[in-house]
Amino acid sequence: MKWMPTCRETTALASRAMDERLPLSSRMALRLHLAICENCARFNRQLQEMRHLFREETAADDAAAGLAPEARRRIASELHKKLGS
Amino acid sequence: MDTRDAHTWLADHGDYLFRVARRQLHSDELAEDAVQETLLAALAAQARYTGDASPRTWLTGILKHKIVDQIRRQVREVEIPRDADGEEAVDSLFKQDGHWAEPLRPWGNPQTEAELGQLRRVLDECADRLKPVMAQVFSLREVAGMETEEICKELDITPTNCWVLLHRARLFMRQCLELNGFAKAGAA
Repeated sequence: MKWMPTCRETTALASRAMDERLPLSSRMALRLHLAICENCARFNRQLQEMRHLFREETAADDAAAGLAPEARRRIASELHKKLGS
Repeated sequence: MDTRDAHTWLADHGDYLFRVARRQLHSDELAEDAVQETLLAALAAQARYTGDASPRTWLTGILKHKIVDQIRRQVREVEIPRDADGEEAVDSLFKQDGHWAEPLRPWGNPQTEAELGQLRRVLDECADRLKPVMAQVFSLREVAGMETEEICKELDITPTNCWVLLHRARLFMRQCLELNGFAKAGAA
């Protein structure tokens, strides 16, 4: 019986654990591998960090550019049309 | 039925809505379309806006639906990758026996505005390089925070496909961040 997932399989489990609760056996296998594998433990931490970065970054809506003037005019005129004004 | 309202929306929230859409659709053009559709839909639904939520929250809610519509349209046009190209990229990260081919490097901890700005650019660039369907699923999950079940339903793909796509996208994003200077210099 195969009780220890490879690194490659572990990354799939770690990824899936970001999205849903794993079955108990998978959870145990994941935890076991992470306990003894530095690289996979790091991978797992970086997945969490990445999520944090993305959510945080979405919230911080400064830096990135806004609507181009051309697009803004086009949208304004579409709104005008719709309003019949 | 107030003309001023709609134009205030565009002026006050147009840029914000555009950025939200741009981040998820990875295209200026599609993002502009989504903003326009959102404002037109908002105009039509104005009577139903109760004022409980702020206009921005209300508009963002409508935008989310428009973004999902756009993504659904794109996904219809792109074959969901069963394996082939994506799997090859994953192969290159691991040895035959399933161990990592290269040790993973720890990440830095950006603090200054300049470092954070650099990081945002790298995040955007890496996300832009994901293959289309992968990018959509990844954005809906990690940027928009939708549940996978919801994503599967919206995009009409199986949960297994969804997990495979997310796994690949995360492996790719992690590696892309490391290769683009996000790894801590000199650290083991």
